[in-house]
Amino acid sequence: MDLIINLALNGLATGMLIFLLAAGLTLIFGLMDVLNFAHGGLFAWGAYSGVWVYALTESFVLGIMGALLTGLILGMITEKFIIQPVYGNHVQQILITLGFMLVLSELLKVVWGPNQLSTSAPDYLAGSWVIGEVIIIKYRVFIIAVGFLVFGIVQLVLNKTRVGLVVRAGVMNKEMVEAFGINIKKVFMYVFMVGSALAALGGILLAPYSGVIYAEMGMEFAILAFIVVVIGGMGSFPGSLFAAILVGLTGSFMTYYVPELSLAVNMILMALVLVFRPQGLFTVKG
Amino acid sequence: MSTLLKVENIETYIGQYHILQGVSFEVKKGEVTVLLGRNGAGKTTSLRTVMGLTPPSSGKIIYKGEEIQGLPTFKTASKGIGYVPEDQGIFGDLTVEENMKVAMKKQDGETKDRMNWVIDLFPDLKKFWKKAGGNLSGGQKQMLSIARAYLNNNDLILIDEPSKGLAPIVVEKVMQSIVEMKERTTILLVEQNFIMASKIGDRFYIIDDGTSVHDGKMEMLVKDDEMKKKYLGIA
Amino acid sequence: MKILHNRSTLFLGAALLILVLFPLFNDSRSMMILLTQVFIFGVFAMSYDLLLGYTGIVSFGHAMFFGIGAYSTGIFLDRMEPNMFWFLVSLLAGFVIAGIVSYIVGLLTLRLKSHFYAMLTLAFAGLFLVVAEKWRTLTFGNDGFTFRTPELMKDRMTFYFICLGVMALVFIILRRFTHSPAGSVLQAIRENEQRAESLGFQVLHYKIIASVIAGVLASLAGSLYAVSLRFVNTSVFTMDVTLDALLMTIIGGVGTLIGPIIGAGLIEFAHHWLTELAGTYPIFERWIIFFGILYILVVMFFPAGIVGSLRKLGQKKKAVKKQNPQQKKIAG
Repeated sequence: MDLIINLALNGLATGMLIFLLAAGLTLIFGLMDVLNFAHGGLFAWGAYSGVWVYALTESFVLGIMGALLTGLILGMITEKFIIQPVYGNHVQQILITLGFMLVLSELLKVVWGPNQLSTSAPDYLAGSWVIGEVIIIKYRVFIIAVGFLVFGIVQLVLNKTRVGLVVRAGVMNKEMVEAFGINIKKVFMYVFMVGSALAALGGILLAPYSGVIYAEMGMEFAILAFIVVVIGGMGSFPGSLFAAILVGLTGSFMTYYVPELSLAVNMILMALVLVFRPQGLFTVKG
Repeated sequence: MSTLLKVENIETYIGQYHILQGVSFEVKKGEVTVLLGRNGAGKTTSLRTVMGLTPPSSGKIIYKGEEIQGLPTFKTASKGIGYVPEDQGIFGDLTVEENMKVAMKKQDGETKDRMNWVIDLFPDLKKFWKKAGGNLSGGQKQMLSIARAYLNNNDLILIDEPSKGLAPIVVEKVMQSIVEMKERTTILLVEQNFIMASKIGDRFYIIDDGTSVHDGKMEMLVKDDEMKKKYLGIA
Repeated sequence: MKILHNRSTLFLGAALLILVLFPLFNDSRSMMILLTQVFIFGVFAMSYDLLLGYTGIVSFGHAMFFGIGAYSTGIFLDRMEPNMFWFLVSLLAGFVIAGIVSYIVGLLTLRLKSHFYAMLTLAFAGLFLVVAEKWRTLTFGNDGFTFRTPELMKDRMTFYFICLGVMALVFIILRRFTHSPAGSVLQAIRENEQRAESLGFQVLHYKIIASVIAGVLASLAGSLYAVSLRFVNTSVFTMDVTLDALLMTIIGGVGTLIGPIIGAGLIEFAHHWLTELAGTYPIFERWIIFFGILYILVVMFFPAGIVGSLRKLGQKKKAVKKQNPQQKKIAG
């Protein structure tokens, strides 16, 4: 029982980190038809900048703020200088965002050096609770809570505000939204920035969870996020939460029971979705 | 009556294709102007060019005395032009209410009045207020689309083939609504259904092979069988 | 046109001759090894060009086919006898596995938008990397293993000629293929997929063919690469390898075949020199940044790459002479 609960919590926590990455990816894709292969780079930048601020100020909260700020700024730069010039050309977009990913992760090494950095959770989030036989690591619960909180906030904004309404409408039909006098490009920019900030948040949250951060982690998590986006349906926000939890749990349980197959199982899941429901489990109608 | 929109010799390329090769027309305030012509003549592209969705490579578009060619779509729309696209452009996952709300830039009293008026015009919308736009029938989608275009204080509404794919009885209804709307705004209509066009149109332009070839009062065209046969393929 | 064609054939022939004669005048071992690497990556980049340049498919997992070739050669030569027979068997094994994998990946994603193929290949390559790390009994994990190569390939000069020959052969085969009817269909797909489909071509079918050929040729390059190092480890499956192919193809010029070879030369030489420079100037340790930026600029401003841009220049000169720009008139 202890084991199963811990594996489940572990899976949920990983799932939430992937979700934070996938959420931005799926929103950006849905709205702009852009698959940002540099998204994982924003994740890594969030982790490094956050850990740097955290180490400097000894405040984890400030570290998170720093990561979010990094995400917003890098998101703006990416949108303006990388995505916009090749808007509408898929092949160029895919190629260019991957190139930017390369630059981002190399720049990371220039700024913070090629070696991995280590960090740990702040005191108030360190340690664990013991409930009967079960030991629950606090930080995992924290990540899960943040994940659900972010999901809740974004859902609220998407469903209850005019901005959210415009974004949802834009996912379905961009031209029509513009024909109502709304500057969709500006909306794109904001969504891109928010999506990047979410990725950066995922990065800084991962840091104390895994204990070390390294430049390649961006790509590793990005692959999982891509799998999640395909399974959940490109452009679907709830879909990416569901798929992220699924992938997180699968990963956690498989790593324990059949470690060799953990990534393979996620790939098989994705392959099955591609064969039987290529539009993903959750879809958006235009 | 004064000229609201003047299109002068616009040319538009889509990719490498030269779709509009010199289209000119005028829309007078308070009238229904109809663009007629065969499939593929360039009628839809003319509307899209006015809207800024396919910007022209040359020519002028003058709205209320101001040149608007080349403006991004959202700016064109903000000048007071509403658009009902050929495929109606309904947001399928959004409810009827939400579809209306996206279109409403302001929430003031005047906009509410307009909304009430348009709901009176299309009672079906109220009936399906919370239903997803994607689940409406073709006619209801058309009505919703027209209603949305009316919500902002638009002095001109571009409507692209409202009768397309609708049952005759529904076409009648949509037509009726356009006639009523004409009392409040100016309409530029693209229509294949000549009977409908001739009933509600005041003035026509025939577009053929990407250029405007004839124009005049609608009564004139109704009598001119030869022209109808030549450009519209009807006797 | 005929003259131009003959001239470029002449140019290629001259270049080949220089490369053939090169070992006779050269006594730098490292230069010969470097050129051998260029030939191997030339094959790899050309295989990528078939996808990206000729069919418009973006793959982010081309390293997996390269790695499949490298490991199958490494494993066969290590476990069996290091002779030509087993080398050929290992080539064949690589071809079969690469063919099957590319077939499956293609079948899954090539009917969907281009994003999917890019994503799925990226994920699949990640999977292969993990397998290579974890299946220690077969691959010795991260550290990899050294192995002995067939007698014939031990001599650096012989191996130089083998690689040069393979590259020339692959070039000729791919040139034939891309100029064949099937090749024209591929290019039609790249230009306008719906149109190719409506003309009655089984687009998916052709795309899968391109994907399989590219996979098999990448595996061939991987096999040669393993032999050249006499060593194989998991680095052959990493993103860096895919990025190499991307950089070489894009910078050299997509859809030209000769461009990727030039790109391979540029990247390999730059790699070599910049790594040396890094010894004295540490800033060059991150030399890949320069390539990343160069790559982004090329994609943005010169999507045709070096060879493509040069050709365009040539065509412009001709067009000026002709003074007869065509205009298409089709109403919508």
